[in-house]
Amino acid sequence: MSFPTIEFAAFFAVVFVVSWSLMPHPRAWRPFILAASYFFYGWVDWRWVLILMASTLVNTVAGQVIARSPSQVGRRRALTVAIVFDLALLGVFKYLGFFVSEMDQALDSIGLGSPLPLVQIVLPIGISFFTFQGISYVVDVYRRVTPPASLMDVAILQAFFPHIVAGPIVRANELLPQLRTPRDPRSVLAGPAIFLIVGGLLKKTVIADELARRIVDPVYNDPASHSAGELTLAFYGFAAQIYCDFSGYTDLAIGLALLLGYQLPENFNRPYLALSIRDFWRRWHMTLSRWLRDYLYIPLGGSRGGRLKTYRNLMITMLLGGLWHGASWTFVLWGGIHGTALSVERFTRERFPGFRLPAWVAWLVTFNVVCVAWVFFRAPNLATAFDILGGLGLSGPSPLVTLPLVLLVAAAIAIQAVPREWWLDAEAWLVARPVAVQGLAVGAIIVAADAAVGQQGVAPFIYYQF
Amino acid sequence: MEPSRDRRLTEPAGRVLGVILIALAIAALFNSEALVRAGEGMQPGTTRDIVLSVGRPIDDVAGAIGLHLPRDGLDLAFGQEKKTASGTELETGSNAILRRNRRKDTQQSFVQPTPQRPLHVLVTGDSQADFIGQRLVDQSPPGLLEVETAARNGTGLTNPAFFNWEINAQQEVAARDPDAVVMAIGGNDGFNIQSRDGSLYAPGDPGWETEFARRVAVVSSVLSGNGKRPVYWVPPPTARDPDFNRIFASQNRAVKRATQAVPALRYVDVYSTLNGGHYSDSLKVDGRRVLARQPDGIHFTRDGAVPAARLILAAMAEDYPALRGR
Repeated sequence: MSFPTIEFAAFFAVVFVVSWSLMPHPRAWRPFILAASYFFYGWVDWRWVLILMASTLVNTVAGQVIARSPSQVGRRRALTVAIVFDLALLGVFKYLGFFVSEMDQALDSIGLGSPLPLVQIVLPIGISFFTFQGISYVVDVYRRVTPPASLMDVAILQAFFPHIVAGPIVRANELLPQLRTPRDPRSVLAGPAIFLIVGGLLKKTVIADELARRIVDPVYNDPASHSAGELTLAFYGFAAQIYCDFSGYTDLAIGLALLLGYQLPENFNRPYLALSIRDFWRRWHMTLSRWLRDYLYIPLGGSRGGRLKTYRNLMITMLLGGLWHGASWTFVLWGGIHGTALSVERFTRERFPGFRLPAWVAWLVTFNVVCVAWVFFRAPNLATAFDILGGLGLSGPSPLVTLPLVLLVAAAIAIQAVPREWWLDAEAWLVARPVAVQGLAVGAIIVAADAAVGQQGVAPFIYYQF
Repeated sequence: MEPSRDRRLTEPAGRVLGVILIALAIAALFNSEALVRAGEGMQPGTTRDIVLSVGRPIDDVAGAIGLHLPRDGLDLAFGQEKKTASGTELETGSNAILRRNRRKDTQQSFVQPTPQRPLHVLVTGDSQADFIGQRLVDQSPPGLLEVETAARNGTGLTNPAFFNWEINAQQEVAARDPDAVVMAIGGNDGFNIQSRDGSLYAPGDPGWETEFARRVAVVSSVLSGNGKRPVYWVPPPTARDPDFNRIFASQNRAVKRATQAVPALRYVDVYSTLNGGHYSDSLKVDGRRVLARQPDGIHFTRDGAVPAARLILAAMAEDYPALRGR
């Protein structure tokens, strides 16, 4: 079930009422919210719920074994089993096709025919996210960051419907304590929730989908038929699109969880205002960044093994971060660009400690490096990516370059510069209005968002495919 | 953005429920047409029945008191065109269109593409059109084709109350004036179909196939500008699911039949040509085995759309010999 649909609106209205009604009774609330989450997740294909349940079961058992095992060897074995299971799940559903295809080609080239079955496997939506949460949970139990949880708690941690499909990736110690304390129905953080929900909806429908339909998709489908001006607008347009699409989804997820009384971690913090790539990764998909840092970069050695090993670890982390998005050279290059930029920044910082670029230059360089990397992220293959990068400019007849589209790209960046206090004041103002005024305002925005997408409907969120 | 714990930002759950209900009521009242259309576009089943049984009375009331007007204004502001209407030929036309005989002895001729004046091709249809459009670009001789892709996801010919392809075809050709059209559609057409006399036919009925052929003839006539440009119609390929496969076979026969009535309509047979008419997740393309279908067992992958694009180009080369050679 996708958020901006009639089905979800009806589903959420029911869940909201029942969840708050059962809130004083945790024994009833927990099975209810789990059942609702499984219903939400299994809406498209109920078999996906079985995969999710299997993941929950293995991670819960592993967490218990790790916590109870008297020996370090036993703890480590249980951790290894759980991680291998989680990664195998991800590998089968996400990478098997690519692996078999490449293997098949290699064997075919040496005359061994095509012995491996190349079959299409349905990728369960959100598998990357709930798998990462499973790994995070068992590692945190192993590190004694969090105590082992019951089957029910781990199930809700992984399946909680606001975040299961595309994050934020929640840590056990962020959500489990909230699950154990009934929320106060007199104090729902409605101001931020409403702003996040309607803001997310507008970002997705008015900016992301419009840019995709009118400039980004046509140009990326056939760069050779477009002028330098159109390539340039698509170059910046995709940066705006993916920000509004993904942060729009996250805003909806966080806002919906807030309406139910739960706080999910922040996932975006004005990423296009970053003054370095390191700064960018502290602001973009923050829950994935910290996951990669805590469960990959640091176990690899982090910055503890000297300069060269640090660069190596940065590159490995970013390359695997790229591959997490899919088995494709374009994602590898995307990760490679970020890994290289992070290494270069680190080298410069260490070698020339007093060196500082003026803020506007740092911003300009950072933003453009990020946009170059996005080309590889979006392009269907390397050739298309290089066609786009090679054709950038301002020349040529550009019928697709219109003032409204340029303004949309500018708006996507400009909304990140609005001071937080302004948002807080606006949220407080809205909450102080009568219920009818609040409802009218939200309803009007839903109507406008639906008019913006028209009869083609809301496009799937980009991160659904990961 | 991290939500603040500021007490000014909180309110009781009861008030929040009020906000949700009022917002949903406003959205339903002022968006009632869209609500009904969304219901029309759903798969038959309980959810669709509920949405339509709630949406239709709301739409009647909203229409009667003029609540459609704000949404109409917004549609205008966003440049959205209506894709539904009552009384179109697609819904109410007769089978006479199928009885027109094309003059087979007359070879139509079209202006040939050159690098100076490439052929402007509109690739449209449902979601299947996306990869086909992309692959048509890179499989064609360089510089001879300019492809514009306009996929209308989730649409088909059987449900004009949700999306009327006759109207959309008129709007598309008026706005883009292509030299040729590729129409890839059919994956969403597994529904019952109603003919103008009110008869309801299920997929597999001979009446279903006749009515579908009539609709293909109506839409392709519009797309062709009454013979001004060729229309290459690509019904779905074989499907993994045998039930879908039977429906797709019927659609392919219907399109073939419609070509007898519409001179500019060309049938591109990916159904019985790809992999000898047998479904397979993978195909060998240029000596390399690739995953050819998406997980649904219907849509082509980007790699899998290559053979389909080549078949379309072969069909186009019959009208445009300059496109031969790849």
